[in-house]
Amino acid sequence: MGKIFDWLDSRFGIKEPHKRFLQRRLPERLSYLYCLGGVAFTLIIMLMLSGLLLSLYYVPSEHEAYQSVLRITREVRFGRFIRSLHKWSANLLIVFIILHTLRVIIHKAYRPPRELNWVVGSLTLVVAFFSGFTGYLLPWDQKAYWATEVGTSMAATVPVIGKYLLYMLRGGPEVDGTTLIRFYSLHVLWLPLIMALLLWAHFHMVKRQGISGGL
Amino acid sequence: MDRREFLSRLIKIFFTGVAVVSGLIALIFAYPARIRKRKTLFIPVLDELDIPRRGVKTVNFSYKRGEQLISTRAFIVQHKGRLFALSPVCSHLGCLVNWHRKKGQFLCPCHGGKYDIEGNVIAGPPPRPLTRLPMKLDKGKLYLGIKV
Repeated sequence: MGKIFDWLDSRFGIKEPHKRFLQRRLPERLSYLYCLGGVAFTLIIMLMLSGLLLSLYYVPSEHEAYQSVLRITREVRFGRFIRSLHKWSANLLIVFIILHTLRVIIHKAYRPPRELNWVVGSLTLVVAFFSGFTGYLLPWDQKAYWATEVGTSMAATVPVIGKYLLYMLRGGPEVDGTTLIRFYSLHVLWLPLIMALLLWAHFHMVKRQGISGGL
Repeated sequence: MDRREFLSRLIKIFFTGVAVVSGLIALIFAYPARIRKRKTLFIPVLDELDIPRRGVKTVNFSYKRGEQLISTRAFIVQHKGRLFALSPVCSHLGCLVNWHRKKGQFLCPCHGGKYDIEGNVIAGPPPRPLTRLPMKLDKGKLYLGIKV
């Protein structure tokens, strides 16, 4: 294993920069509170892997979405497990991002030079919320439908542009097959891509700025 | 082996284990749970002589799917010089529709779906026309193709 990796590395040269990052010395005062962000990132990795698996069976169509979700839970081996993993990781992700945010607030780690990283982190939370909201529609059952009906109708309360915002979100005046495809695309393509870019920026800044002094 | 090396080995072994187990679960998940080729079974339902000259004839027949004996029906329709077979399964929620001779329509008893003689939806909730079944004539018998 090591030999194969060394052979690759002699051409690819990826070991050294990672060693510098992964095996760097950390200040002694760190506690487990500093792991909250890492836990959130682990959950995102689990979400991406379980989501990739679910996408093998899910059909984003008005007529087949619900059936395909039933098929995943009833027929596919480990289907119920993978779907539950995706669901619970998603719930816990929000919890852990908020805990991580609280840690950053309490330690005043948002202060300069880290303001931009605070902004990027907040955007990550927003993207996580949107992923949760769009993913909630995908089972295409009554709960999903009405949650989206109510959720998207809030957009209509925005002054002046509310109506257009609503049509943009739903792809029409009603929640229907068009909305399902829209939400599916956002959920599996747009939002994960945005999330990956944001996290790359987030980690890059952590690496450059180091871990904040704390209280 | 010092403490640091021991821990780093332990972590490596742990994560290798996690990766192997997850990989196996992913493979088992991705492998199709049901591998069954659906083939079309042709069942004799009618003598060639009994094919309607005009209008709808209901035929009852049964066939075996695995161990299960399934009894069902279908409609043989001769309309405007064309012969075709319609499945009685309503495209809405799968109830069996009936032919109403006086109205000249197929009526679904469940939610009021109506189809014309060609199986096209006239009224009610059905999203698609009635399915046309494959047919063939062989040695004086009419065969209907059922997917099993």
